[in-house]
Amino acid sequence: MSGTILENLSGRKLSILVATLLLCQVLCFLLGGLYAPLPAGHVTVLGSLCREDHARQNDTSFLLYSRGAGACIPVTREEVEQDSTKMANELVHVFQMPLPRDLRDLDYSRWQQNLIGVLQVEFGYDSSSELREPPRELQLTIDMRLAYRNKGDPDNGWKLYAHGVEHRYLDCVTSHVGPTETLYSCDMIPLFELGALHHSFYLLNLRFPLDTPSQMNLQFGHMHDLTLTAIHQNGGFTQIWLLLKTMLFPFVVGIMIWFWRRVHLLQRSPALLEYMLIYLGAALTFLNLPLEYLSLVYEMPYMLLLSDIRQGIFYAMLLTFWLVFAGEHMLIQDAPNKSTIRSRYWKHLSAVVVGCISLFVFDICERGVQLRNPFYSIWTTPLGAKVAMTFIVLAGVSAAIYFLFLCYMIWKVFRNIGDKRTSLPSMSQARRLHYEVPLDQKVEDWAGIVYFYTKAFFFQLHKANESKGLIYRFKFLMLATLVCAALTVAGFIMGQMAEGQWDWNDNVAIQPTSAFLTGVYGMWNIYIFALLILYAPSHKQWPTMHHSDETTQSNENIVASAASEEIEFSHLPSDSNPSEISSLTSFTRKVAFD
Amino acid sequence: MDISYIFVICLMALCSGGSSLSQVEGKQKSGRGRGSMWWGIAKVGEPNNITPIMYMDPAIHSTLRRKQRRLVRDNPGVLGALVKGANLAISECQHQFRNRRWNCSTRNFSRGKNLFGKIVDRGCRETSFIYAITSAAVTHSIARACSEGTIESCTCDYSHQSRSPQANHQAGSVAGVRDWEWGGCSDNIGFGFKFSREFVDTGERGRNLREKMNLHNNEAGRAHVQAEMRQECKCHGMSGSCTVKTCWMRLANFRVIGDNLKARFDGATRVQVTNSLRATNALAPVSPNAAGSNSVGSNGLIIPQSGLVYGEEEERMLNDHMPDILLENSHPISKIHHPNMPSPNSLPQAGQRGGRNGRRQGRKHNRYHFQLNPHNPEHKPPGSKDLVYLEPSPSFCEKNLRQGILGTHGRQCNETSLGVDGCGLMCCGRGYRRDEVVVVERCACTFHWCCEVKCKLCRTKKVIYTCL
Repeated sequence: MSGTILENLSGRKLSILVATLLLCQVLCFLLGGLYAPLPAGHVTVLGSLCREDHARQNDTSFLLYSRGAGACIPVTREEVEQDSTKMANELVHVFQMPLPRDLRDLDYSRWQQNLIGVLQVEFGYDSSSELREPPRELQLTIDMRLAYRNKGDPDNGWKLYAHGVEHRYLDCVTSHVGPTETLYSCDMIPLFELGALHHSFYLLNLRFPLDTPSQMNLQFGHMHDLTLTAIHQNGGFTQIWLLLKTMLFPFVVGIMIWFWRRVHLLQRSPALLEYMLIYLGAALTFLNLPLEYLSLVYEMPYMLLLSDIRQGIFYAMLLTFWLVFAGEHMLIQDAPNKSTIRSRYWKHLSAVVVGCISLFVFDICERGVQLRNPFYSIWTTPLGAKVAMTFIVLAGVSAAIYFLFLCYMIWKVFRNIGDKRTSLPSMSQARRLHYEVPLDQKVEDWAGIVYFYTKAFFFQLHKANESKGLIYRFKFLMLATLVCAALTVAGFIMGQMAEGQWDWNDNVAIQPTSAFLTGVYGMWNIYIFALLILYAPSHKQWPTMHHSDETTQSNENIVASAASEEIEFSHLPSDSNPSEISSLTSFTRKVAFD
Repeated sequence: MDISYIFVICLMALCSGGSSLSQVEGKQKSGRGRGSMWWGIAKVGEPNNITPIMYMDPAIHSTLRRKQRRLVRDNPGVLGALVKGANLAISECQHQFRNRRWNCSTRNFSRGKNLFGKIVDRGCRETSFIYAITSAAVTHSIARACSEGTIESCTCDYSHQSRSPQANHQAGSVAGVRDWEWGGCSDNIGFGFKFSREFVDTGERGRNLREKMNLHNNEAGRAHVQAEMRQECKCHGMSGSCTVKTCWMRLANFRVIGDNLKARFDGATRVQVTNSLRATNALAPVSPNAAGSNSVGSNGLIIPQSGLVYGEEEERMLNDHMPDILLENSHPISKIHHPNMPSPNSLPQAGQRGGRNGRRQGRKHNRYHFQLNPHNPEHKPPGSKDLVYLEPSPSFCEKNLRQGILGTHGRQCNETSLGVDGCGLMCCGRGYRRDEVVVVERCACTFHWCCEVKCKLCRTKKVIYTCL
């Protein structure tokens, strides 16, 4: 039988591998920290007021814009105040993005990927009116028209992209109480989300229709400033991100092919853990696939949803893998046949499934609907916000249950290992050595292993207490997982806390948020890369007859005697199970049998 | 030579003939008005605000100083924002002082005279408020105009982003477009501060006490705009989670800033002449740990630096939000900018100011390093947001054209109030008149979408009290 590479790799090779992977990890971090800009940029646009003709109000092809030839002449706040009806139902708030800067007209690039708009509202009441308390959940009805124009189009060549009449609920606080007017400043409201920033210029026309019969927008006094913040992904960040993906993609695909070939070289059918590893690799490959290149050519409004789904599949797969990994190393006697997800883990995985489905449903409700109507947001209505919150709480509870359960399983694995180690001395020396390969020995190659075993078998120099075996390597990997998870959490928190950049000195500045994002992304890639390597079946056989041709003549008799010891192993009933890929799992079973 | 400067000289000549002015005031007059003539542009745009105002306009030419005209010429669209800003300052000032004897009245603009009248000649509280509110209004209005897109030359804040790899190889506008594509452009407000410093503080060189007072109050106005900025954040990571968060600054309504400045007006500090200037050593980089040390003034007094008007601590506080504005003060030499990025301090200007630019800027920023001592030594020194004044205000009761005081004759007052807007104080004991007027206004409007508005006319009777 064969073990995994993790068990057979020499300490030196393992340390070289780990060092290389750590170096890659540092490179990923520095790539984001040194080269990438902030992940997202924003443009803050103050609405210009335009007065429009009543006749054209229902004509959605009629768009008002504030810059360029044929732009509307903005009216000032004073003119509105002086008007007898305060220009009710005649005002259009115009937002044209992006803004000119440094004497140039800027335009959006397709590298900037997506556009999210939020609106901040300020309004005032005459202090004489009775409403004094800051209004809560005020319903605002907005007629929104989003249009686009491309580079090279004439200044008036705006084309309608989306039109909608939406309700938003405002939560406001008093910002100024004066003798004539009380001012309120409101929490920002989500306005639109575009999954594809395909065009050069965007224009938003907002109207606040006043209607007495339907009580529409009547609670609002005077609108003051409307500020739109349009958030886009930074082009530089997209480029660095895609560079990272493009670089990682072939490596992960390559290692998957290598892994699968190694598995198929074996005489047995692949074990569950090997299936899980290849699934995990596939999920990562799907995440790595640089689909964003297509968005530079085609308009793909579903990119936001797709990237959520891709990340979701990956994280679901990772969580499933951890659970199965812990489960396969646990002592389970009642399932002698080959374990499958359905037969053994469906109960364990229900938390992951519930969490993922609830997040998926939430995402479909939010970003799925936005494909049809970019102004839609589930958060804008009190009912929708409750539904969304339910899904998120459900996902959170599932995550909590999952982690509690995972911790319990890992604790059980360790307790198992601890229990069985005490029974080690009663085992035969050879079997014990089988499990406790010393790390500190420079076991270079197959001949070296044989030499070591020769020494061990015949001179019995080795003391059990001094040895460090594959149990520690298992623990080492558990530790690596824990470190990865902890780094993700710590990086996330630091990314939240750190504002701006960290200045190393005058020339070197680290961008913490970007570094965190690329660092974490690279880390999970490297983690799975390492798993695929270390858990691939080893072709270095424990001393058996298969590779006797490789052994030197002088060692042959030694190997033969080692093989006889091995035969003793194979007589153990649980060893007949061909699905064992790790000798640790077989070890736990055998010990239990003993 | 500037026409405005000639006017200043003429005014000086006129005023020195006046008997009521003391010798000290005569000296201080040389400093007044130098940086405040631009207020006049508030009235420039009034006749027709449809056609864009050109910087060649003779009215503007006489109002602005040479440097201001250059700034206006090099920043297309900025003039409209300045006109708006000046009017914003006037209306806010009049709103805040509507109930006081001095009600921030402006004269009908006549060329070469100060918009707020001769009250500006005195270094009193009201003057300090005018300076602070105008400076704040320019900052606010320029920042707003940047986010409205009416000024094309607003700068980007490139300090937050890493160097674009291609930026080094491409020149001029291409690099700028690449910078935008690479790292975005996320700054509106910083430009307002930079511009306000360059534009508003032009004539104030800080050479005498009155100019220092003006500089301090200008800075205080800007500091209030800064202090009222609020950070807003939006999460937009995976499924809208906070793995990616974007934050930006939001300007407060100018009314709030006006309120705060009015509160500072009520608690303004009277300052006196002091010789302790730090200007001599300000060119050297100020190390952060110097903040706690003491400096010895030239008059031998030890002045605690914690009370410095622009102490390093406050600069750092400001820098947290506005990385570019004050950074030059603390690190005038060591700060290195990307060659293709606009220098955070210099506004885009077509004319090359060349080598003397650096020296001039170094000198210009020294003028913010000074210490004002309170008139009453028991009071604490003024902070960066406090208003300072030099002399007590006149009573503003009686008309005195020589001092630019209109008096309170004919002002409306509140009969029931015991405060300064009450008829007793407002009319200075001269008595008041009661009138009943009928006001007609639209009311009970009904709206129909789309597109009809119907209103009734309501008549309400109001009682008005007017000072005699």
